[in-house]
Order: sequence, then structure tokens, then C-alpha cells
Amino acid sequence: MMKNAIAELITKMADDELILGHRNSEWTGLGPVMEEDIAFSSMAQDKIGHAWALYRILQEQLDGEDPDQFAFMRAEQDFKCCHLVEMPIGTYDFSLMRHFLFDHAEAVRYDSLQQSSFEPLQQLSRKLKGELKYHTLHADAWILQLCKAGGESYERMQAALDQCFPLAAGIFEPGNDEQGLINAGIYPGEQALYQRWLDAVNTVLVKASLNMPDPATLIPQYGGRKGNHTPHLQPLLQEMGEVFRLDPTARW
Amino acid sequence: MNNQSFDPRVNRLKLGNADEPIKVEEGENWNSYEVFHQEKRGAHHEHVGCVHAPDPQMALVFAKEQFGRRKKCVNLWVVRSADILAFDAEDEDMFANNQEKTYRDASGFKVMEKINKVKGSKAP
Amino acid sequence: MYGGGYIFDEPNKKQLRDEQLHDDPEKLAAFEDRIARGEKIEPGDWMPVEYRRQLIRLIEQHAHSEVIGALPEGTWITRAPGFKRKLALIAKVQDEVGHGQLLYNAAETLGKTRESMINDLLSGKSKYSNVFNYPAMTWADVTVIGFLIDAAAIVNQVANSKGSYGPYCRALERICYEESFHLKQGHDALLELATGTPMQKAMLQDALNRWWQPIMHFFGPPDKVSSHSEKLMQWKVKMASNDDMRNQFLDTYVPKIWELGLSLPDPLLHKNTATGRWEYTDPDWDLFFKVINGDGPCNKERLQVRRWAEAEGRWVRKALMNISERKAMPVA
Repeated sequence: MMKNAIAELITKMADDELILGHRNSEWTGLGPVMEEDIAFSSMAQDKIGHAWALYRILQEQLDGEDPDQFAFMRAEQDFKCCHLVEMPIGTYDFSLMRHFLFDHAEAVRYDSLQQSSFEPLQQLSRKLKGELKYHTLHADAWILQLCKAGGESYERMQAALDQCFPLAAGIFEPGNDEQGLINAGIYPGEQALYQRWLDAVNTVLVKASLNMPDPATLIPQYGGRKGNHTPHLQPLLQEMGEVFRLDPTARW
Repeated sequence: MNNQSFDPRVNRLKLGNADEPIKVEEGENWNSYEVFHQEKRGAHHEHVGCVHAPDPQMALVFAKEQFGRRKKCVNLWVVRSADILAFDAEDEDMFANNQEKTYRDASGFKVMEKINKVKGSKAP
Repeated sequence: MYGGGYIFDEPNKKQLRDEQLHDDPEKLAAFEDRIARGEKIEPGDWMPVEYRRQLIRLIEQHAHSEVIGALPEGTWITRAPGFKRKLALIAKVQDEVGHGQLLYNAAETLGKTRESMINDLLSGKSKYSNVFNYPAMTWADVTVIGFLIDAAAIVNQVANSKGSYGPYCRALERICYEESFHLKQGHDALLELATGTPMQKAMLQDALNRWWQPIMHFFGPPDKVSSHSEKLMQWKVKMASNDDMRNQFLDTYVPKIWELGLSLPDPLLHKNTATGRWEYTDPDWDLFFKVINGDGPCNKERLQVRRWAEAEGRWVRKALMNISERKAMPVA
């Protein structure tokens, strides 16, 4: 029972990272300035790397499938990623804001996993601590600078925040058997993480003079964790598996 | 664009206006910062190149990935290129005679010769 | 990834040749002595006008080739099969951007700003390696680019890294180090196809057939028609002739393709054991010049994508522009 719940937790975390890693990697070679192109690409690679590490935990500890098969050949409804990560890259304001909101959520989640009673997640979260620190440092620096610049730049960031926020709240869609995971000390549960995340992003948003949408009236965009997705996911999955499907039995 | 690209990313971009000429303004790629890389604790920071950035903080954020993503690195410095003061290349001759000034060098002092001489004169 | 392979001439060449006559003969002699002794030239040093101009042209084209070179392989980032190939490909394309960054910095030390180099790329005034005007149609193309084009680039860049201009040599040192990863991952991915299913082998053979001519074009026209002056060789701006580099490439890499049971689409391709030189069918040089001048399969798309990226990123750059700040070129 607990095994299924842990697998579900890891699957949704990994799917988020896999899909957002793919989205963000689309900027490689197309970024606003070369230095940022390089930095953003590194973080996209990190995300895909995190997904790989999580799928390996599934495979090695929880009788899961081969990570390549699981990541690139699964049907859409079996993906448990949230809607935020599925959206196309849009413009750089959208991509940066998504990166800021998602990476703080990731940081809060991995931080809590450092106390997890599930050893493999505890080890992974300790290993990734430094990487995530850079991701949020990078995101915070951009948000602050683009907002302090004022004018069009500030307006773009506020609009991106308004667009992303309900999607980002969807990261914390409650899972099945969450109480079981909380009781077993696997992780603190989505509600607790959501509160910590609100605190973390709010600190930066205040410094940036951005208006955070009121969580009390917000309607989070749920559904991804249940396998209901936006129309943007299927074409991306199609692309991700395109070469594999030419001959699923071959080595690539 | 009329034709489909082989790149699905490109097909998702709205290339509609991309035929219009675009000119990047001078200064749009910001300012140049020199980057110094420390390979391990206790080692000197060594110059490895530069990044373009709008301010020192962003220069550091950028330098971390452009100069710290592969080889071992524990710290980086950045400094505005405009703040580097150096001698002119043609002033190289100021350093030319360093090698001859052996009084600054251990090899310039023949201590053992003197000791041996002293020892030799005391011999019975 | 990619050395320009071939430095394209600009129309105003003649005019600047005249300016060169005004170089102080004493300084010129000292400069040439220094290069002959194997010393490097650094940004603050006196240098002939023509040396500076040729270097800017060479390094700038090299930088553009990296930036544009990120596009054909970028085509396959979302589709790369499996975690290992995926991460290696993104890291490789990222390196190309990183190489462009290093090279623009090296060129800036000579006095041309990054902005003005980008503008010359966007307007078509400045060229980039022709090989990137061809599309990467299948996954196998990515493996051929990763192995053979990177190999060709390494031949070129290793030669250039022994040149006379310090900042360019230092950039190339780091670039060559990273290229060894590119070559290895390209070779590995190509081997997977070469030793795979019949469908994979056929896919690879197709890609080799498509890329062979662009690869033969890579090092530029044969020495007998190439107009590069001996001056550039003497100044160690150009380090090896086009034919010599091509021969070195063929010598190392053709056997590596043949040993896999793959073929190259040139019945005349063989090594003349008497001369030690490779012989081959001359590639279509008219086509080469046609593609340089904008008529290749992807010229238009490549520049459109670059224009899109510059236009899309403009508000970000402008928001953080600081006009009052004291500015300088990179110092080394």
C-alpha cells in the first residue's frame, strides 16, 4: 500500500521535472543573451537529470520499469505531471516566471525530503541541495532585476505571475494516500509544502513589488496528478518518443 | 515561413515577423566582466575569460555556468573589465632585466662555497 | 563545435590592403619577428591593420558558426532517444553557445563589439560555416554531425590554436577540450546505429550520403583556386592550407567509417599510397558558392530563427541596459 503511494509521489515529481526540463531545453540556442542561454540550458539539463534519478529509484526500489521506457513510451493518461510544466515556452517572461515558481516549489519539496523516512529520497535530496540553491538564486536575481527595471519589464512580470500562479498552485494538488505518507514520515504532504512555498515566493515577490494573487480566492489548476492534461502534453510526448518508436526493440 | 521546419521547436515559434530586419543596439549585450576561477580551496583565483552582464551580481550568476559547469570549481570572482588596470604591452621592457638581478634570488648566494672555504682553512 | 573551416572574403578587401601599406615598417618588422619566434600577440600590442581585420573576420565567423551551428542539432533536442543521448545532446548544443560566447569575447579584444558582430550576422554581411545551411533530417544526421563535422572542426581548431593571437588561442584551448566530448558522444551515438538493426544502419547510411558533400566542402575550395595570401600564413592567422586540412581529416576519419561496413558516396575516394594523399571526386564548388551566397536549403530559416531570438530577447536585454556605466572591451 505504502509502496504504491511512494511510487505515486515519485512519479509525479519525476514527470514534472521531465516535462519542464524538456520545455526549458527548447530555449537552448534561442535565449535572450548568450550567457543566460547557457545558464538556462544547464538548469534544464539538471531537471531532466533529476527525473532520471527519480525514475531509477522507482526501478531499483519499487519494481518500476526501465527509466527510458517509462519516461519516453508511456501513454499520456499515465503521466502525473501538473499543468504548469506542460505549457509551451511562450515568451521569456512566462518561462522565467514558471522557472521561479516551479524551482521554489522544487526547493521546498526536496528540502523537506532531507528528513524523509524513505532513504533513497533522503539521499537524493541531499545530493541535489546545491544544484537547487543555484536554480533559486538564478530565478530570484532575474525576477528582482526585471521588476526593478520598471516599465514594460515590470508589467510583463506581473502579467506572467498572474498567468502562472493558478497553474503553479496546481503543483500541490492533493495525492491519494497522502495521509499515509505523512504518518510514515515520507514527506509532509502537499498542503504543508504549499504553505512553505507561499512563504518562500512571497518573500521575493514583495522585494520585487509584485502583487501575489490572493491564495484565498485562487482556484488552483488541478487535474494533472489524476492523469487529466492540457492539449499541450500529447504532442510533446509524441515528439519525445518519436525516435524510440521507429523501432522500440532497438538500442539507440 | 512557408515551409515546415525539420525542427519542431521552430514550428512552434511564431516566425511571422522574422523577415523584418533587426538591429541590436550598442550596449544591449551589457558590459564586460572578467572572470577568475578558483579550482580548490587554498588555490589562487585564475583568470579564465569574461561574461557580459548588466551588473556584478548577474555576472556571477552567468559566470557560474559558463566557467564553472565542467571542471572542478569552488569559487569565482568577477570584476568589471573597465576596472582592470594593466601596463601597456610596450612596457614589457621594464621587466626585462629581472633575471639578471640575482641578488633577489637564492641562487645568487654561494653560501656553501664560503663554508667550505672556512672549513678548509681550519683543517690541520 | 565548429571552426569556420574556411574564411570567406569580404568585398572591401582591396581597400584595406592599401591601408596596410601605411603600417610603420619598423613596427611591422618587429611584429613579424615576434611571430616568427613563436611569441603570441596580445590585445594591447601593436599590430598591422590588416592582421587585426583578418583576425576579427576569422574569429567572428567562427563565433557565428557556433551560434548557427547550435540550430541543426537543436532540432533533435526534444526527440533525442533516451536520457543519456538527450542530456549529452543538450549539453553539446549548450557548449556551442558557450563557444560562441568565448569567441565573441576574443574578437571583442580586437575592437569590434559583440552587438556589431551580431548585427553583421543578422544582416548577412558576415558569414558562417556553410555546413549549417543543411537540415538535420533524421536522428542519424545528428550522429553524423556529432562525429564527422565535429571531427572536421577539431582538425581546423587544433591547427588554429597554434596561431599567433593570444586570446583566440586561449579560447580554442578550452573549445578543443570540450570538442573531445562532442566527438566521443557523436562517435558513440553513430556506433549504436552502425551496429544496430538493418533499419538503423540504413538510416545512418542515408545520412552519410547526404552529408558527404557538405563535409567535403567544409575546409573550403582547393588550394589551387583559393586566394588566401601567404601573408596570413606568415602571420599565423591561417595555419594550414584547405587541402592539407581536408587530407588530414580524410586520413583519420574515412577508415573509421569504412571499418563499420559503411560506405561514402564517392567511388574515387581512396588514399594514394605513393603520395600519401587522398584522392576524391571534386565536390561541386559552384554549389558551395551558391550556398554561401544564401541559396542553401536552410540559409533563410537559420537567419530567421536568429532574428526571432534577438527580437524575442530584446526587452530582456533592454530592461537591464545601463548606459551610464563605464564600459570596456574584455581585457584578454
